[in-house]
Amino acid sequence: MKLAVVVQRYGQAINGGAELHARYIAEHLARHADVEVLTTCAADYVSWRNELPVGLDRVNGVPVRRFRVKQERDPLLFARWSQRVFDQPHSLADELDWLDAEGPASPTLVAHIEKHASAFDYLLFFSYRYYHAYHGARAAASRAILVPTAERDAAVGLSIFKPVFRGVRALMYNSPEERAMIHAVSGNERVPSIVVGIGSDVPSNPQPARFRSKFNIRGPFAVYVGRIDENKGCKELFEFFDAYINAAGGQLSLVLVGNSLLPIPKHPRIRHLGFLDDPDKFDAMAAAELLVMPSYFESLSMVALEAWALGRPVLANAKCDVLKGQCIRSNAGLYYDGAAEFVETLRAIEQNRWLSASLGRNGRAFFREHYDWSVIERKYLDMLARLSKETAVPHMDPVPGWFDRRKRDRAPGTQVVAALPIGPAFGQEAHIAAHPGVGAASAEPPPEARNRQSRVEQPGRYQRARPRGGSRRMSGA
Amino acid sequence: MADFNVRSDSVKVEQIMEQIRARIREKRGVDYTEQQIRELAAVKLEKFLDPKGVRSDLLQQFRRAQPIYTPPVPGNYAIGEQTLYESHRAPLRWIRRLLRPVLKLFFNPNPLIQALYIQSQLNTTSAQRETARDQFDQLHYEVMHNLVIETTRMGIEIKNLKMRVESLTSRLEFNERRARALESVVAYEPVTGDRIREAPPPAVAAASEIAAPAQEPAAVPPEGPGQRSRRRRRRRGRRGGGSAVSIMGAGQGPDVLPPGQPASMRSDAPAPQDLPEPPPSAGGSRTEPLDQGAPLASAEREDTGRGAGEPDGEQ
Repeated sequence: MKLAVVVQRYGQAINGGAELHARYIAEHLARHADVEVLTTCAADYVSWRNELPVGLDRVNGVPVRRFRVKQERDPLLFARWSQRVFDQPHSLADELDWLDAEGPASPTLVAHIEKHASAFDYLLFFSYRYYHAYHGARAAASRAILVPTAERDAAVGLSIFKPVFRGVRALMYNSPEERAMIHAVSGNERVPSIVVGIGSDVPSNPQPARFRSKFNIRGPFAVYVGRIDENKGCKELFEFFDAYINAAGGQLSLVLVGNSLLPIPKHPRIRHLGFLDDPDKFDAMAAAELLVMPSYFESLSMVALEAWALGRPVLANAKCDVLKGQCIRSNAGLYYDGAAEFVETLRAIEQNRWLSASLGRNGRAFFREHYDWSVIERKYLDMLARLSKETAVPHMDPVPGWFDRRKRDRAPGTQVVAALPIGPAFGQEAHIAAHPGVGAASAEPPPEARNRQSRVEQPGRYQRARPRGGSRRMSGA
Repeated sequence: MADFNVRSDSVKVEQIMEQIRARIREKRGVDYTEQQIRELAAVKLEKFLDPKGVRSDLLQQFRRAQPIYTPPVPGNYAIGEQTLYESHRAPLRWIRRLLRPVLKLFFNPNPLIQALYIQSQLNTTSAQRETARDQFDQLHYEVMHNLVIETTRMGIEIKNLKMRVESLTSRLEFNERRARALESVVAYEPVTGDRIREAPPPAVAAASEIAAPAQEPAAVPPEGPGQRSRRRRRRRGRRGGGSAVSIMGAGQGPDVLPPGQPASMRSDAPAPQDLPEPPPSAGGSRTEPLDQGAPLASAEREDTGRGAGEPDGEQ
């Protein structure tokens, strides 16, 4: 079997979420099939500047073919287009212009896919929102498998992506929430799909003492790992942690790992260590009492999975449906909605050893059952085997004509996203497994799942759901 | 393969979150009902708060100072792609449509339409915000009002707590006195045997009392100044009162309580079976401590910060 992994950037030093995801998948699938990576010469996701050489390369034994990006991103132009398509009624042509402005526009990559699609059994496209995925999936619809890595931002509400979601051969989702969101936005329930996610190579014997001694950290602490950014909820985290410090009784410090785009409050109990390599990062997580994930938008938090793999509980932002859903499904993390809940949940984990240990134990089991590499590989291989048994019926909707493309009849992306269901999604199988005493026929979904369903069934009521996601994301766009 | 096969152990995250939320609700306290708020605002405020500092009719005053403003609502215009070319006359509309490409040769009307569209949206948003602002002002008044109510409630609670502290202090004092009285009775008992007939003269009792502590320093560790002063006070109390009755009488003043029965007259006094009968010498000594009772009263004042004749707040 020959597979192509198509992604916007690719390289050993490229650590973006979707890019790392693509690399891990490519390297693991390379054990079972011939895998070739098709990507651009860009290394920076803001400018998409051509920095890597064109042509064939090899990364960790996987062949990588790079193509030039036609133009660098103009941030002002992109912001203007974003404002138009996310906040105003617009046309399909506007959305296509937005896609070009977003980049990385590489017509040579798309032409290569179109020309050589038949050489591959399947092409795995990562990140639905970029140029390569939209045009590439259209060029090879009958062999395209999409890994959307979709977050709840305004881009998912753009109408250009609906035919792609409906027209590919299969979708590999990161979470049930992502699947529910894309189902709601595009109505692609008939497309074969599975929730897979991604594994992680977590060391079996991390060294928390080494970390403490290297960075001179004493006492219990909570750790945050990731970019320290307002869009990641870090500003709110600082406010809430300040409330925790001011409330008597708490002993935890906050250790921040990652590059900072925000001023970090000066406080003896807040330590910023900057970017750490993997061993230090895992040691830090192993030394911590818990991992804090304040992000509002996550397709799948790899850091949370790594914390669970290390047996550490996670404290997540309840505004992020995916993280909240993961916490509930795994029974391995708590979530907060507001400062009071943050303080209380943090205290609960800090002061109740039994709770902390149980959450950590559940997290380890959850990771082992669902995110171990053998499970991930098996899910991919099963899907490929299933697709190879079925005959491909290409049904990608064509791009409308010149006049139709210019009709300003498309709703703003934020408005579309605001109308999408909110809250964690609970698959029936997950619910039944979580409540083994309940039979499949009589199984009722939990209250939150019922709410979610009722919103979908009642559009009028559902429209009044609080607008979330898009507007916040837009502020950082 | 199933997407997810969650096996939950004993921890249920949703239950824990429910408990945490319940705890938060408990901490925040119970909200007042509308009726309670009205009662508190109307009655308690004047009774418990300084009327110069807080006004109970704050909400009314705010409303009087700033009556609700109802801004004129100008009608917004609707703008769309075709608005500029519309007319109620069909031929004119047709001609405009015909000439539209010619018009577009001279200038591009799209930015104009877009700007007008945005402006109309802004108008709508602004009107909505204005309405929301009015509601928000009302909320501000309500918040202030509720703050006043909360302050009232806290005032009431502080008052209650103060009364409770005073009550507890008086109970404590009473118990101390009672303990002293019982102590003195126990000291007399081995000497007397028959309390009425064989009571030792007060001088002997006093001498035995003084002699006993003189032997103590060898056995017990050195005592601090506080202990010493307490011991001195107790000794003075015994010398002066000698019995529970006399000690109890010291608090009320000798002229108020008739000799022989003051303890039973007080509602907070111990029951007669708890308190032994005073020896006759105690009755004899009741006149004597009137002179020595003065230092006792002053010592009590040092101890409690309250004069001997002041009510103890028990009632």
